[in-house]
Amino acid sequence: MTVTLTIDGRQATVPKGTLIVEAAKQVGIEIPVFCYHPKLEPVGMCRMCLVTVGTPLVNRATGQSQLDADGLPIIRWFPKPQTACTMSVSEGMVVITDSQEVAADRKAILEFLLTSHPLDCPVCDKGGECPLQDLTYRHGPGVSRFDYDSKHHSAKRYPLGDLIVLDRERCILCARCTRFQSEIAQDPVLAIENRGRDARIVSYSNPVFDSHYSGNTTDICPVGALTSRDFRFHARAWELTNIPSLCNHCGVGCNTVLSTRRGQIARIMPRQNETVNEVWICDKGRFGHHFNSSPYRLTMPLIRRDGELVEASWDDALQHVASRLTSIIEAHGSDSIGGIAGACLPNEDLYLFQKFLREVIGTHNVDHRVGLSATFEDDTVYAVGVGTGTDLGRVGRDTAFLVIGSDLDQEAPILYLRVAGAARHGATLITAGGRPTKLDKQSNHSLRYRYGTATHLLLGMIHVILEANLTGNETVPHRVNGLNELRANVADWAPERVAEITGVPPDEIRAAARAFGEAKNGIVLYGPEGLGWGNGTQGTSWEAGSPLRQAVANLVTLTGFIGRPNNGVIAVLPHANSRGAADLGVVPDRLPGYVPAERPGLNAQEMLGGGVRALLVAGADPLAGVTLADELEFLVVQELFLTQTAQQADVILPAAALAERDGTFTNLERWVQRFDPGLPVPGQARPDWTIIRQLAVLLGADWAYATVGGVLAEMAQAIPLYRGMSYEQLSQPVSLSRRMSHYIYAGMSFQAEMREGMQWPALAEDGSAKLELDWLDPPAPPAEGDGFTLVAPRVLYDGGTLLGQAEILGTRLVQPHIALSSADAAALGVLDGQGLQVSANGQSISLPARVDGLVPQGVVAIPRNLKGAPAESLLGEGRIFSRVKVVKG
Amino acid sequence: MLREVWSGSIEILRAMWITLKHFFRPPVTNQYPDDRVPVYPRFRARHVLKRYENGLERCIGCSLCAAACPTDCILVIAAENTEENRRSPGERYAEVYEINLLRCIFCGYCAEACPTEAIVLEHDFELSTHNRWDAIITQEELLEPHEPDYILIRDDQVWVEPKWGHLTK
Ligand code: SF4
Ligand code: SF4
Ligand code: SF4
Ligand code: SF4
Ligand code: FES
Repeated sequence: MTVTLTIDGRQATVPKGTLIVEAAKQVGIEIPVFCYHPKLEPVGMCRMCLVTVGTPLVNRATGQSQLDADGLPIIRWFPKPQTACTMSVSEGMVVITDSQEVAADRKAILEFLLTSHPLDCPVCDKGGECPLQDLTYRHGPGVSRFDYDSKHHSAKRYPLGDLIVLDRERCILCARCTRFQSEIAQDPVLAIENRGRDARIVSYSNPVFDSHYSGNTTDICPVGALTSRDFRFHARAWELTNIPSLCNHCGVGCNTVLSTRRGQIARIMPRQNETVNEVWICDKGRFGHHFNSSPYRLTMPLIRRDGELVEASWDDALQHVASRLTSIIEAHGSDSIGGIAGACLPNEDLYLFQKFLREVIGTHNVDHRVGLSATFEDDTVYAVGVGTGTDLGRVGRDTAFLVIGSDLDQEAPILYLRVAGAARHGATLITAGGRPTKLDKQSNHSLRYRYGTATHLLLGMIHVILEANLTGNETVPHRVNGLNELRANVADWAPERVAEITGVPPDEIRAAARAFGEAKNGIVLYGPEGLGWGNGTQGTSWEAGSPLRQAVANLVTLTGFIGRPNNGVIAVLPHANSRGAADLGVVPDRLPGYVPAERPGLNAQEMLGGGVRALLVAGADPLAGVTLADELEFLVVQELFLTQTAQQADVILPAAALAERDGTFTNLERWVQRFDPGLPVPGQARPDWTIIRQLAVLLGADWAYATVGGVLAEMAQAIPLYRGMSYEQLSQPVSLSRRMSHYIYAGMSFQAEMREGMQWPALAEDGSAKLELDWLDPPAPPAEGDGFTLVAPRVLYDGGTLLGQAEILGTRLVQPHIALSSADAAALGVLDGQGLQVSANGQSISLPARVDGLVPQGVVAIPRNLKGAPAESLLGEGRIFSRVKVVKG
Repeated sequence: MLREVWSGSIEILRAMWITLKHFFRPPVTNQYPDDRVPVYPRFRARHVLKRYENGLERCIGCSLCAAACPTDCILVIAAENTEENRRSPGERYAEVYEINLLRCIFCGYCAEACPTEAIVLEHDFELSTHNRWDAIITQEELLEPHEPDYILIRDDQVWVEPKWGHLTK
């Protein structure tokens, strides 16, 4: 349904329900705004957007517009100007924005806003990119009639937590910040207190402004009232060089702008990309950049001589590596060499890394699954990933989400915003997990299973869906193999039986399954807390997750939620390029593009356990807390920092960080996106791909890659998934009309291009591909009995190599602790902060207890990836759960 | 022909007369550096960063001078005042302030842009240095000394300047 209206004599045809501001934007007319923001509900608080509006006079009897003598419709004007940000368009409406009255209104509003504005633009961080400044220049009065001395004074430097500073004098009370926090971030921690002249922004949370998204309020604040402590006074907006980049802290792949000054990052801001991060980033991405300029960066190649690491030239170091590798290959064969690459490396580096091992060395010993990556082994998404064109920012009522085993707010914050936003817009949200998460507040069905029984729960849901014949899509039976077998297999998994195992009441399972099956579109997100359940040490941790992944794949396949936009699976992978690492075959049994390898090599655990004599490690820390296997003669590490693995290396090659180079990442939704270099490389560090290329050349390969783009061009040729991708294409700016205007999205970040990535299609999108409904028996449910279940959830502010250096996050960085329920704490007789000892597998550690209402009874939680890695040392590589004994002490 | 010889000789004599006349005039050359000419009040030479009477720096580190500068020769890096280390009134001060005098064209735009009248072009025009680095003057050199309300512009004389632009001896 469209509506046609006239704005300043220009005809605009827009969808029904469009607001006048948006309609005006479409015909190139800018209506100035302060409180309006397209992502927030309109409130009409600032009155900046006043326009004159009229509607055609309608004859009530005929329903036709009345015409005047000239045959033109008679317009009935509203007696007062109207706010263009709250009024939606109607047929035949006439809007005037360029009249003298409107200009006078704007001028008056600005004069009022400035009655008590401090006008300290010279020291204001927003100065130069401030909507209030700009709109005053355009529409405001040159002088004020108000008495300078009677200005209202209030706090100039009011700390809103560790990260944000509030200047109450500058605040114009537009409520964008409070609305962002309650509508988008769903952390309603900001509010306006008092009324009239005394109205002011306050935070009621403890700690103050407790939100993972607080930095976004500094972007949307239309004045310099909210500024970030990190950027405070570091530069004026016009002194910054803005470089399009990507966040490297999680798999969401938020588009960012690096604003640099004098070779340092002054700030990081979001770059608009409606299909990935809209206009937001989380505080980890915004404030976690300090590692780039850390004094602990490696700047010179180091070679171990007589037990000491000594500086060497690149030529010497690379020659040394090449000759050692050659002699080991001669003595023990190619399969005595292995490589582990981190899932934080860009696609091109990962591609060359596996190509180096496979083609130059001649072995399939290559893997990326160490640390949290070890939990995932993801080819589910290859088959049934969300369809290309999926945009979680636009889904609504007809879509159902199932989030299982994932705490999105901690694991993939912007994905959390988007899923929670979809729920706000009417999508059905089902959360399933071992403990309540923040997303549960928005969910329609929240299922609390006993840890380790996520797969059983899914089987119960599949049972209900098959029973109720909600397989929806008629085409499903033609596209899948094994529907009947699956039917037979899940017949045993009636909700009543599942309820006994999982602890979820049968009618809740039924209701959730029906809600999911009855939706038009369905998306499943699964995360680490549903995977990795194995019994003790047998098998790898990703094998332990296979039944859940298979169940997820079966669920979306048989409901027909595949192969279309806004349908399919998203694996909440841990790292910035976990998706790319899986795509590009950085696993021993698959070549790039999910092609099975004929002769699988050793996986990371086998390599580390002594399966190889020489190991190349790039951007990973697999030896944290692990000692070198005796068989390992030669260890080469490419790293930013002297990690625990690097400390044991024979040769360390200093690598360039993301901000210092270019490349591409593939995000959770399979968007391949490009980032540009913004900082100088410290010392002699080099990008990982050039190091690998040089090694290959020294070992006799004729690799002539000159640029990252050249590597991508080869990938686009060699890997069908990446077909058609090109470096140029990935940096094409998106058309201007799709950007938010400067006044709405304050900030100069638009100087950096807004780009869109390219998404590779999942197998299910090929209509002729047959999909398998395989059956994997669910793992045996965890034994009951005495003892606790230890869980290692992922937290946003962990103590990893990169984030641990962001001092600004200070107290927010999670310190090692054991979280448990108050009932268990009472039973054990511990108080908050007292010591607690956890033991498993013959190991035990003591940490302070933290009583946490979100931890279920019988469970203790130690977050992963903290300083000293307590959880990992108890659980072992990549495991998420274990049965443990807990005693006071 | 004869006429030409005549007029030529007259011209020569006239020129020699001018020469002779100037020969007996007093010389106009100043014996710089022994003899210095006072500069005009609005003469623009090396910059000075001013202070308030209480000694606080006027400069608030806003970089507007740097933005106005057509040769991009000013570097300002700002920092935040704390109670222990208060350099200027308000929240912000210039931690680093440098001007590259080799690039400066003494246009005075910086002084024009400054919201606090902190940067002012004054009368010290003796700017030669022994190397290029010294031509970058730092905040220490630029800031006027604390107590006195005069500025030294010559080795031998002190010019007291109670009000900007009005020069007394
Ligand atoms: S702090 Fe900024 S965003 Fe919040 S109400 Fe004030 S002006 Fe608006
Ligand atoms: S959500 Fe992830 S990718 Fe986005 S800013 Fe945060 S850490 Fe970075
Ligand atoms: S006088 Fe002109 S050229 Fe020199 S620093 Fe000032 S603005 Fe720049
Ligand atoms: S001298 Fe003036 S314009 Fe320059 S930074 Fe200082 S206060 Fe700003
Ligand atoms: S009232 Fe419309 S933008 Fe504020």
